[in-house]
Amino acid sequence: MAKETESSPLRLRIRGVAKRFGPTVALGGVSLEVAPGEVHALIGENGAGKSTLMKVLSGAHQPDAGSLLLDGQPFKPSDPLHARNSGVAMIYQELNLAPDLSVEENMLLGTEPQTMGWLRRGERRRLAKRALEEIGQPDLPLDAPVRSLTIAQQQLVEIARALVGEPRVLIMDEPTSSLTRLDTENLFAVIERMSQRGVSVIYISHFLEECQRVASRFTVLRDGRSVGSGAMAGASLDEIIQLMVGRTVDEIYPHTSRAIGEPVLELRGVAGLVKPSRVDLTLRAGEIVGLFGLVGAGRTETLRAVFGLDRLAKGSVSVFSHEATRSTPAKRLANGVGLLSEDRKEEGLLLGRSIADNLTLTRLGPVTRLGIVNSSAQAAAAGKWMDRLDVKALDAAQPVGELSGGNQQKIALGRLLHHEANILLLDEPTRGIDVGSKAQIYRLMNDLAGRGKAVIFVSSYLPELLGVCDRIGVMCRGELSEVRPVADWSESAIIRAAVGQTETGEAAA
Amino acid sequence: MNLAQLGSRDFLKAVRPFVGLFMVLLLFAMDAELRSLFFKGGNFKTILTQTVIVAIGAMGMTLVIVSGGIDLSAGSLVALCSVVTAKLIEHGHGLAAVLALTVLVGGLAGLANGGIIAAFRMMPFIVTLGMMGIARGISKWLADNQTVNPEVPLESVNSLMDKSQSPLTFFPLPDGVWLALGLAVVMTVVLRSSVFGRYVFAIGSNEDTARLCGIRVNANKIAIYALAGAFFGLAGVMQFSRLTQGDPSVAIGLELQIIAAVVIGGASLSGGAGSIPGSVIGAFMMACLANGSSIKDWPNYMQEIIIGVVIILAVGMDKVEPMLQRFIRRGK
Amino acid sequence: MKSWLLGAACAALILVAGCGSDPDGSGGSAGDGLEIVVIPKGTTHEFWKSIHAGAKKAERELNAAGQPVKIIWKGPLKEDDRDEQIKVVENFIGREVDGMVLAPLDENALVRPVETAGKAKIPVVIIDSGLQSDKYASFVATDNYVGGRMGGEHLGELLGGKGNVLMLRYAVGSASTTKREEGFLDAIKEKYPDIKVLSSDQYAGATRDLAYTASQNLLSRYGNELNGVFCPNESVTVSMTKAIRDLGKAGGNVKIVGFDTSVQSLRDLEAGDVQGLVVQNPIRMGYLGVKTLASHISGAKVEKRIDTGVAMVTKENMSEPEIQELLNPPLEEYLGEGN
Repeated sequence: MAKETESSPLRLRIRGVAKRFGPTVALGGVSLEVAPGEVHALIGENGAGKSTLMKVLSGAHQPDAGSLLLDGQPFKPSDPLHARNSGVAMIYQELNLAPDLSVEENMLLGTEPQTMGWLRRGERRRLAKRALEEIGQPDLPLDAPVRSLTIAQQQLVEIARALVGEPRVLIMDEPTSSLTRLDTENLFAVIERMSQRGVSVIYISHFLEECQRVASRFTVLRDGRSVGSGAMAGASLDEIIQLMVGRTVDEIYPHTSRAIGEPVLELRGVAGLVKPSRVDLTLRAGEIVGLFGLVGAGRTETLRAVFGLDRLAKGSVSVFSHEATRSTPAKRLANGVGLLSEDRKEEGLLLGRSIADNLTLTRLGPVTRLGIVNSSAQAAAAGKWMDRLDVKALDAAQPVGELSGGNQQKIALGRLLHHEANILLLDEPTRGIDVGSKAQIYRLMNDLAGRGKAVIFVSSYLPELLGVCDRIGVMCRGELSEVRPVADWSESAIIRAAVGQTETGEAAA
Repeated sequence: MNLAQLGSRDFLKAVRPFVGLFMVLLLFAMDAELRSLFFKGGNFKTILTQTVIVAIGAMGMTLVIVSGGIDLSAGSLVALCSVVTAKLIEHGHGLAAVLALTVLVGGLAGLANGGIIAAFRMMPFIVTLGMMGIARGISKWLADNQTVNPEVPLESVNSLMDKSQSPLTFFPLPDGVWLALGLAVVMTVVLRSSVFGRYVFAIGSNEDTARLCGIRVNANKIAIYALAGAFFGLAGVMQFSRLTQGDPSVAIGLELQIIAAVVIGGASLSGGAGSIPGSVIGAFMMACLANGSSIKDWPNYMQEIIIGVVIILAVGMDKVEPMLQRFIRRGK
Repeated sequence: MKSWLLGAACAALILVAGCGSDPDGSGGSAGDGLEIVVIPKGTTHEFWKSIHAGAKKAERELNAAGQPVKIIWKGPLKEDDRDEQIKVVENFIGREVDGMVLAPLDENALVRPVETAGKAKIPVVIIDSGLQSDKYASFVATDNYVGGRMGGEHLGELLGGKGNVLMLRYAVGSASTTKREEGFLDAIKEKYPDIKVLSSDQYAGATRDLAYTASQNLLSRYGNELNGVFCPNESVTVSMTKAIRDLGKAGGNVKIVGFDTSVQSLRDLEAGDVQGLVVQNPIRMGYLGVKTLASHISGAKVEKRIDTGVAMVTKENMSEPEIQELLNPPLEEYLGEGN
């Protein structure tokens, strides 16, 4: 066996790795082979064991069985620092940045070049600049505090930080979950460059199309086991999905025909203090309108302004044909408008509070008598929505923070349902959740529209917009340019509109 | 007993202050000398009476801390309101007027706290630190830098905390103790089950989410600080009743005792967690410790060390509990 | 809610233990002897250590005379905090001691606790400072007014009957120092009408640190025209002397008459920075406090007011033997090495 290893020079070889936590089997035998310079996609639903495998590789967990070989040498990382020093770097999905430190300080945190305790400023700047150039973002302000950047920019900083250490194996967990198409393209270019330099990349993502685009080989995990692997070129998307979920997926995007009704939300020349600069949109009952755009195009800001969270500078808003430009979230909710925040951890949910509290917070009325909340009525109401949305949780009293991303998102959506909102403003509702949960959310949106509710669906993932929406609008630099029926759009046309119709060649490539 | 429930976070959290109190009492019961000195009806009446001021303050402080804030002006407001009580009595007001007006003064100071915090989005720590100085200054000014002793004492106010009639038996308890117990019951329901209570928790858990959910965060914050101020005002009346005089220099550092009681009671300084029974038990436990070490004739420095250790232990339970939970769940 | 279960357990423990305690709690835990608690205003000032020594001296004598007594020495947790001192008094009423010797922090605030003790049949002897009540067995203290007058007369003599003086008061509500301050002001007004009092309405506060700051504030205003100072207690004396030394006016330039002694203030007296200290007899106060209480408990009739006397100490007379005994009280003899 040792001979075989030497004859085929693998960068990383994982064989039969198992890990259990008490009675729970997290990994039940995972094998994975990655050649130098190979980009290897690791695919699986949430809970399939991807993050446990990553933690084994990064030294955070010690495996119960199995072996790891790095460049033919046994690799037994004792802790994350050891793994990093051995050349295995990790980019986590959750941001791990110090918000008050500058971009440069964050990138070199823990590895600051120093002479006897004194920082070498020039060297620092050189390293940071080089890393940013490698990811094609030389314009990121090195001295700006990370807090002032967008989420996408913060993720780029995190990626650049991993590159500073010149790793042999780079593991990326959902690196594009908050990136736009253009940023994603940038990232792919970086990955390609790294792979040419012989760095192996393990790429974890829910975006199968992305995996197909960037990886040469793949391995699918299901229930803690590797259930299949092979060359990307020879596999179809449907085959991979079948491996992932263990069943065939005929139709992820349901689309039943539905009646489009009266206008319910009309935006006329809406502008915020910074963004958006001009938005005109008419949303009708029973309609799903998608909003696409690059990060920073002003989609989130548009929703916030419409919902009354941010001030409007110009324009008018009418809800159900009533002029209602100046408003607060409380008034909007009273008028049946609900907002799902793009950032469910920071803004969307009370992570420390129970599922029941989170579901019913905007409409405690039905479970309240004389100002006193009836806990059992509240739990019953919550239980109803948990069943309807197929939420996996212990009970309605469990804190939301203990749930998986997909289930958290269902709770956030469930709040809008409990509120009986008629106009739903959904900002990236499927970000960072597993395929199964995504499919449920698409079905739910379809049902809601079928019952005459109106939805604005902001997303950076084109296939889902094209699959779910009736009409799609594209925002570019704060302006909503075109809103057309889905049939009139092609992917490349949408991207051209998103970048302002100038860099067509690059975007379409 | 249901193991799942035993291991549930709610149960461990709710029970923590009681466990702490139980440990303290057990410790005292193990000492032969203390057993006979400490566990007497009269002594428990003494401890309850000594708990009243901190407990009433802790009710207001619990609201503030659960909402993610802090109020450092508590001690100063108690002093100010004890002086206000004295001044009102000097002007010949009766019990109802004295109570209402003093609580109003405390509430107005709290309203100022909350208003500034909400309007200018300032850190509660800074604003209430400022109010701490302002209230202390005003109380010294109002009292002309000395204690205020009403010429004609108002017996109904003085008797709120008076237990001189039967010092060696548990009953009758002073009116102040009953008042505090009644308020504790009311505030428990308000914080745990009212819509306002839910909003307090929501704001403390995540202010952005609360705003998103249509909760009027600023209005609620103002209400929280004003209500807390009203409680400090009531504590001020009790402080007057204890000293039978308005004392502008009383209750220095009381805010820290109140905060300690709330934290021992299971509240988190980052907001979103805490309970009224917990805070009241926390206050009672600290009074037990102080009383026990005092009559046991431990030197004062030992008493201070013990209370310090207990605070750290109580908060350290936060870190131990998840481990305990996992252990219980695994056992199942 | 299962939490009530544990709450109930706590309550049960209290009740069981409560019922188990012996009903005839009058004896306390000191066996046959008397248990007497001595409650000073604070424990850090050297003055209170002398009181402690005096109480110990009385304890020894009484024990030797076949009247067993146990002294408990307990100051408030925070000095100058009335509420804390009330708690100590209440706690020892709860302990059902046989008697209390109390130096009240406030003449009004401590009235009710002392009366509560009376209701619990615990006799109280007041020492050091007065109380606005007559529900005590006896008041054993220096006549502070006389002490203050003595200070005023001494300062007037030193200044030859003219000049500018000031007085820094100690703390709000402290009866003993207020009497001294009155005595001083009366003596100046009656005997030395040519002396001008620049300031007599500022309070120093309870600690040396506060007193030092207050002294500096006063001196920055009146430092140039000042000829003499009266300080009504030990912490103010030491702090004021330090502030005057900082100003370069020590050594007789500004005459200082203080009250009470400490290692530092005696050093200042010897160095000539302080021209006179009114000295009480704290050992005698502690001693007489306990002795009076013991004879009251044993049923004897005691005087309602017992004066423990003052003396003026100057650099000249400080080596005289009777003054020496006041200045260097034999603390070690009673309190052991670690006083």
